[in-house]
Amino acid sequence: MRKSAIVLLTVTALAVPNVEAYAATKAQKTAPKKKVVTVTQSFTGVPGSADRWGEVQVTIVVKKTTTTIVKTKKKTVTRRISSVSVPVYPNHTSRSIFINQQALPYLVQETLQAQGANIDMVSGATYTSQGFETSLQSAVLKEKAA
Amino acid sequence: MIRVEHVMGMPIVVEVRDEPGSATLDRVFDWFRFVDETFSTFKETSEISRLNRGELSLEDAHPDVRHVLGRCEELREATRGYFDARATGDGALDPSGLVKGWSVDRAAALLEDAGSREYAVNAGGDMIVRGGTWRIGIQHPREQGKVAKIVEASELAIATSGEYERGHHVLDPHTGRAPEGVLSVTVTGPELGTADAYATAAFAMGEDGPAWTARLPRGYEAMTILADGRVLSTGAFPAV
Repeated sequence: MRKSAIVLLTVTALAVPNVEAYAATKAQKTAPKKKVVTVTQSFTGVPGSADRWGEVQVTIVVKKTTTTIVKTKKKTVTRRISSVSVPVYPNHTSRSIFINQQALPYLVQETLQAQGANIDMVSGATYTSQGFETSLQSAVLKEKAA
Repeated sequence: MIRVEHVMGMPIVVEVRDEPGSATLDRVFDWFRFVDETFSTFKETSEISRLNRGELSLEDAHPDVRHVLGRCEELREATRGYFDARATGDGALDPSGLVKGWSVDRAAALLEDAGSREYAVNAGGDMIVRGGTWRIGIQHPREQGKVAKIVEASELAIATSGEYERGHHVLDPHTGRAPEGVLSVTVTGPELGTADAYATAAFAMGEDGPAWTARLPRGYEAMTILADGRVLSTGAFPAV
């Protein structure tokens, strides 16, 4: 009995590396070897016109992650806007400063929230955010083209 | 390949997803600059300005100018006068409401001639897309940075008119006042110039606009966002 138990245990013990080898093969099948490259870069859009208020210019910081499956060389790219700043905005009148102090943080917030919608372009744009959208869109397009 | 330039007082985005050729994009932007030089009411030397000052007769004008002015007249009739290039208040002609969309239609034809079958031409938020799948957000009329609806299409012209429309407020040419009860009208269809004129006219009609858009010619669809939050779409409007 004891002997057979030892035999069983031995078998079990022998089986362990086999299980690991199987797991390793399986792991290779489901999660093949990947190379992950992350690039963080900033892109500045063309100045957008906010009509009589002047110009708006948007800079975005994009974290681009490229995952390459080593064997097949298949690439997957994900992009995430990690920050939005507005280096140029209308500030020549107290009213435009007021509008921008109200609107710009909101627009920045919206941009970060809306990127999940995966939209190529926007039809129509609000009066004050037109310049912002324009500049943002061109910055995003620059990033895509990079 | 993507290029963004400021022409005709607005950003124009041209994105070509196949056969990118920078010489082709050069031609497209040369075309927009030509349109600006010829049609701008802000440029004293444009043919439109010279026509308005009586220095140029219609017979001597560029064939494109004659075509656009003729089309403006057709659209005025088709929209019961709600799209009116002559409703400027001072008797001058201002075909700007058609020129933007029409010039994008012609730019798309240039890309087609160059062999492209997957592209977008976007002039200040009114655009033509072709080939593959394009997701176009329609600006939320009340909340900045938000989209109200998403349209998905592979071949489409789309124009949105609203009280926020860039550069000028759309007025009802019959009363000279801003329409009430409507926030924005989006029109889709085969031609951008025509879609844009329909959107402008339907917006100027105010609350009567949606009923009018229900009878647009074949291929044109509309979505109207009313001030009370109702969204009225024609049967085949391509919203996701």
